[in-house]
Amino acid sequence: MITTPYGHTVYAMAAEYPSAAALYEAAKHVRDAGFRRWDVYSPFPIHGMDDAMGIGKSWLSGWVLFGGISGFLTAALIEFGPSSILYPLTVHGKPRGFFTVPAFFPIMFELTVLFAAFSAFFAWQIMNRLPRWNHPMFNWDRFSRVTNDGFFLAIEARDPRFTENGVYELLEQTGGQHITIVHED
Amino acid sequence: MSERLDTPPMPEGEYFDSRRFTGLSTLLGAVAVVSLVLCLVGAFVDPHQFSYSWLFAFVFFFTLCAGCFFWTIVHHATDADWSVVVRRQLENIAVLLGVLAVFFIPILLLRRHLYSWMDIPPGHEATLDSKRAYLNLHWFLIRAIIFFVFWIIASQLLRRFSARQDKDGNPLFTIWMRRVSFISLPLFALCLTFGAFDWMMSLNYRWYSTMFGVYIFAGAAGSSMSLLVIVITALRQAGYLKGIVTLEHYHIMGKWMLAFCVFWAYIGFGQYMLIWYANIPEETQFFLARNTQSWWALSMLLVIGRFFVPFGILLLQSIKKNPHQLSILAGWMILMQMLDMYLIVLPALHGTGVHVSIWDLLCLVAIGTTLAFVYLRLVPRTSLFPVRDPRLIESLTTVN
Repeated sequence: MITTPYGHTVYAMAAEYPSAAALYEAAKHVRDAGFRRWDVYSPFPIHGMDDAMGIGKSWLSGWVLFGGISGFLTAALIEFGPSSILYPLTVHGKPRGFFTVPAFFPIMFELTVLFAAFSAFFAWQIMNRLPRWNHPMFNWDRFSRVTNDGFFLAIEARDPRFTENGVYELLEQTGGQHITIVHED
Repeated sequence: MSERLDTPPMPEGEYFDSRRFTGLSTLLGAVAVVSLVLCLVGAFVDPHQFSYSWLFAFVFFFTLCAGCFFWTIVHHATDADWSVVVRRQLENIAVLLGVLAVFFIPILLLRRHLYSWMDIPPGHEATLDSKRAYLNLHWFLIRAIIFFVFWIIASQLLRRFSARQDKDGNPLFTIWMRRVSFISLPLFALCLTFGAFDWMMSLNYRWYSTMFGVYIFAGAAGSSMSLLVIVITALRQAGYLKGIVTLEHYHIMGKWMLAFCVFWAYIGFGQYMLIWYANIPEETQFFLARNTQSWWALSMLLVIGRFFVPFGILLLQSIKKNPHQLSILAGWMILMQMLDMYLIVLPALHGTGVHVSIWDLLCLVAIGTTLAFVYLRLVPRTSLFPVRDPRLIESLTTVN
């Protein structure tokens, strides 16, 4: 753990960039330097930033598939269980076995969608460590411009490659301005 | 919106060299002429079977062309950027609706074999008499003329404006194409819905389904996107559009195939379940004919082959980004669209079971080769993509 002379824990070293293009180029350099714990911040999504940061494909789709399949199986269980196995009942002269399935499809479909949407929402929250009250980046005054016209890049202190001088040089070389240390609290 | 980070240079237009494909064009033309002559023979030898076979082939190709028209107007109406590079081929296929207007004439000549309601005098059928205000020959003819006039004018306008923009790059053409598209969207919906009612649903005048029009639309949109994938892949195989149409565009086209695979199943099942659940003889007769006898096997093949199998495959991102594999799947989807149209038209004739006829195949070949021949004549006339569309750069750099 790195601390400042005043005893604050260091969260990251951050820099501001003049444009989305500059941030994009800087991200490529940070990626190629081998850093893992770092992030970029911008007022809007930047196309191609995933590749520039070397993030790769998200696992969110896996969770959505899992949620969808479990929703489908839940619907099949609660429909065929009572209606075909536990308490078969003839309704509207419709068949009681497997061939009741047209009446069951809408519920299977709805639960598949519902569970998939829930798992997408909650998995997304967990993967982004949300909800949270505050973020260390807000300790930096300039950072409030991130919702307006500011483009920021922060390399976290817990990254194994983090050294104060090394990161400072990297940020400076890539065109970062107002390079600063951001406190944890 | 993000800044464009790397802007490629504006490419020059690419032109299809028709001399390389003279052999194919001649072959298609020869097959078209021979099969059309054989069809003429068929119309006299076995007019009853032939009229149904012709209608089946007609509606199959009609849905493909109308779907391409739909994608063109949606592109303009939504101001889409990704589809600029593939739009020219959509326009080329959509203008084939004019050729289909000619192929509609045999249906008019053979109408008494197809549409029994035209022969029944008033006062014999109460169910028919209540529909006479809509189902009468004059109104049927007027509607057909309105439909084709609209499709021909709108598709020609869109292609001409687009081709003229290639020459001078005037952004005004984009505005005009957008206006045509806004007017066309509701008209397209009406023409396709009532066209489906007139030509397919009225094969059995006692049956009706209010969802039938949107069912035909769902099949048309999905299968025409599949056709676009195949056409684009064929052009790339021939050495065109390299670096213009990228894997990102394939990914988007694959996503649309997936979307309409699901939408078709949603509408198809919605139509089936409402009729199955209500269990009214007037409505169930349509599915009774198609779920019994040997038709049952084809209906099951449609349900599994048109939805369950492609749905599972299209979920994979790797398939959508592989032009070769996506084209194979697209070909399968078009075959399934053919089966869908077969199951709508032919059971009206052979209520007791599947009865494959040589005329089914011959009509398909006749209309298909003629359209392909005309298409090959249309392609070389313009650049393979709109060279001076204002949004071309955005389309070339599309990332999704």
